[in-house]
Amino acid sequence: MYPKEVEKILLKVQKPGKYTGGELNAVIKNKSEVDLRFAFCFPDTYEVGMSHLGMKILYSQFNSVPYIWCERVFAPWIDMEEQMIKHNIPLYALESGDALNEFDFIGFTLQYELSYTNVLNMLRLGNVPVLSKDRTELKNIVVAGGACASNPEPLADFIDIFFIGEGEEVDLEVMELFRACRKNGESKQEFLEKAARIEGVYVPALYDVSYNDDGTIKEFTPKNGAPAKISKRIIMDLDSSFFPESFVVPNVEIVHDRAVSEIFRGCIRGCRFCQAGFMNRPVREKSVDTISKQCFDLCKNTGYDEISLSSLSSSDYSQIVPLLTKLTEWTDEEKVSLSLPSLRVDGFTDEIMSKLKTVRKAGLTFAPEAGTQRLRDAINKNVREDELLETCATAFNGGWTNVKLYFMTGLPTETDEDLEGIANLGQAVVNTFYKCENRAKGRGVNVTCSASSFIPKPFTPFQWEAQDDIPEIKRKQMVVKSAIKTKKITFNYHDAATSFLEGVFARGDRKLCNVLLKASEKGFHFDGWNDCFSIDKWLELFDECGVDPLFYTARKRSFDEILPWDFIDYGVNKSFLKSECLKAYESKTTPNCRENCSACGAAKYKGGVCIEKRKNMV
Amino acid sequence: MKNVRIWFKKDKECRYISHLDLNRVMLRAVYRAKLPIWYTEGFNPHPFITFPLPLSLGFRGEAESMDVRFLDENFDLSNVAYILNPFLPEGIRVYSATESKMKPGDIAFAKFSAKLYSDNLTANELKTELCELMLLDEYLVPKKTKSGIKDINVSEYLKLIEIASDTDTLNINVTLPAGSSNNVNIQLLIRALESYVKADVYYDITRIGVFNKEMCPFE
Repeated sequence: MYPKEVEKILLKVQKPGKYTGGELNAVIKNKSEVDLRFAFCFPDTYEVGMSHLGMKILYSQFNSVPYIWCERVFAPWIDMEEQMIKHNIPLYALESGDALNEFDFIGFTLQYELSYTNVLNMLRLGNVPVLSKDRTELKNIVVAGGACASNPEPLADFIDIFFIGEGEEVDLEVMELFRACRKNGESKQEFLEKAARIEGVYVPALYDVSYNDDGTIKEFTPKNGAPAKISKRIIMDLDSSFFPESFVVPNVEIVHDRAVSEIFRGCIRGCRFCQAGFMNRPVREKSVDTISKQCFDLCKNTGYDEISLSSLSSSDYSQIVPLLTKLTEWTDEEKVSLSLPSLRVDGFTDEIMSKLKTVRKAGLTFAPEAGTQRLRDAINKNVREDELLETCATAFNGGWTNVKLYFMTGLPTETDEDLEGIANLGQAVVNTFYKCENRAKGRGVNVTCSASSFIPKPFTPFQWEAQDDIPEIKRKQMVVKSAIKTKKITFNYHDAATSFLEGVFARGDRKLCNVLLKASEKGFHFDGWNDCFSIDKWLELFDECGVDPLFYTARKRSFDEILPWDFIDYGVNKSFLKSECLKAYESKTTPNCRENCSACGAAKYKGGVCIEKRKNMV
Repeated sequence: MKNVRIWFKKDKECRYISHLDLNRVMLRAVYRAKLPIWYTEGFNPHPFITFPLPLSLGFRGEAESMDVRFLDENFDLSNVAYILNPFLPEGIRVYSATESKMKPGDIAFAKFSAKLYSDNLTANELKTELCELMLLDEYLVPKKTKSGIKDINVSEYLKLIEIASDTDTLNINVTLPAGSSNNVNIQLLIRALESYVKADVYYDITRIGVFNKEMCPFE
């Protein structure tokens, strides 16, 4: 549903179907029959937000509670935003068409730092005061969760409650508390203080931060009984945890227009740059039967004929072949195709290949991340060149001709030799193709090497490292580019300026709140999109606010500095991250969780891979 | 194999989805409903569906059609609406399925009704302006064609407009050439009015039906 006034402007914008709702499986409830209304906001466009699995899970789960009505809200694209402002139409939710400020809870999922300006812009468009302190009543409670909640500080002034870790349980506990507080006529302050006692809840207003003269944090102090340490929430049994039987099926095309099932959470690998790998420990798998049933139900209820099996590293699923066997028992018959993203080069076997090939042949993507063995060891990627070439040979002999390789530039300890290694590795893959006897005849090979810029993230062994500045990122991209000697390799690289800004917010502190506030007053939005992003405007703004962005990116921290996110506990000890960082300097690897436990600290959750029997112990 | 025409209405939120998106919505529904129809036999088998006369984005459609091929000649077509509707969004409602009698190429006319309104003029003022405009022998509006933007004289088509009423909105009916050889988009006429009155004219258009060259309803 959309407000009546919107009809006028829908034909003046591109893809108006994004702004109307009315999709199959959208949940419509009667306002007067629910106690609590939750606006689930994705701070990006409809096409991006509707592709996000986390939103689909929580949307269905919240709506499974009779007293809650959860609706969806997305950031309107710039043409729609302009029309909405011109016609004085506030940002509305797609199910009821009601404005954002009519909701009890306004929840944002924070998936990437460059969406922060959209968070504030959406609040503005929805006529909700952006600053937490300006929302004084027990309504319009702004909450946020997701990957970027791992360092909530740059958004501390705007968000009332952060959910740390997995949301399936804690979100509902907080809503239940809200319902009770409102019934008892309690104030927002009373509600927040009570909420802070729930595990996995961070209420930034209940903490004071003081700084040293050099800008680093001096003290982080809780008040009014708030806990000093916030522990993440985690779902240990994925088989019994909530998973939707149906998705809202969009009427217009979105980015990932298919059924998705998670096969496990976490990652056994411990690549030292990877935030998701450390934050989501330990690995917890869903059983083959559960996955197969969930996929079957989803296809039946949505009409999708494509399933994506989602995880951080699909081939590390311990039952991958039994899973594919079980799925192909019915997917062949139903004309459903399977895709397996996030494959590791050492996990791509003939058996997996033959199962995937039965239906659709897409390109293959692998992520060696670094060009030389020394650097791959330093980042603990644990992939060898011969494994990669062997895997590519398997694929080429199986008829594939497109391979994508993902790399990062700017990794700690990197030299120009490592950068040239990217070109050399690409060349070695090209050479492998021409050595394959059973390669597709009459077709050339195309190897795409994509390089993103390394951004140090909280809760990784590299959280203390310096990030390259813009000129250095650009120089390194050119080193790789000039080392490539063949047209069979396509080289793509990520925009240096957006990586820089992402780095600022990834490891930022509360001093950035003022910058974000000013940015939203100036109408900044969609920083992740080339159409809107301007690094010059951002640098001007930092200057105006008296904040040096290089303080956050270019500075190498000492191990004993108080980091803005130190008060959060994701289960992995800081001492373990430090020892991993020191091992990186010596290019020493750490075995994965299935080979050997390295005592990171996540075993305290007493589940998942931590209690799995290891092969070498049997 | 039997050629079948499935009839549906496109309205509510679904009038804002494009033809390509409608195609996807229908594919998913047909697939999920497991209708016994012919699938393409390429590398990615999918249900074979075509649309005799696509509807512009934003229009409501009273009698839209989609062509499929039924594998089972004895399939009871009166069940199609009942089978398909649960798998379609609210805004798309199938109301019948019949054996195709005409070819898509037989389509020659389409009948529209439209509600027009503007922030600057009342419905009555808009009516007066439209009547003046309809008397002109030449009125050019720019139209995007494959070979660039061309000025088209729309006066001949403007004269076909019947004015139905002018209450809150100015309501008009018009039957225009349609189909693959000569197609006149009603939005062209509204753009003419917009440029004539020099103000934004908002519209709510419904395609009531399509016809062959003898003005018999397409079936």
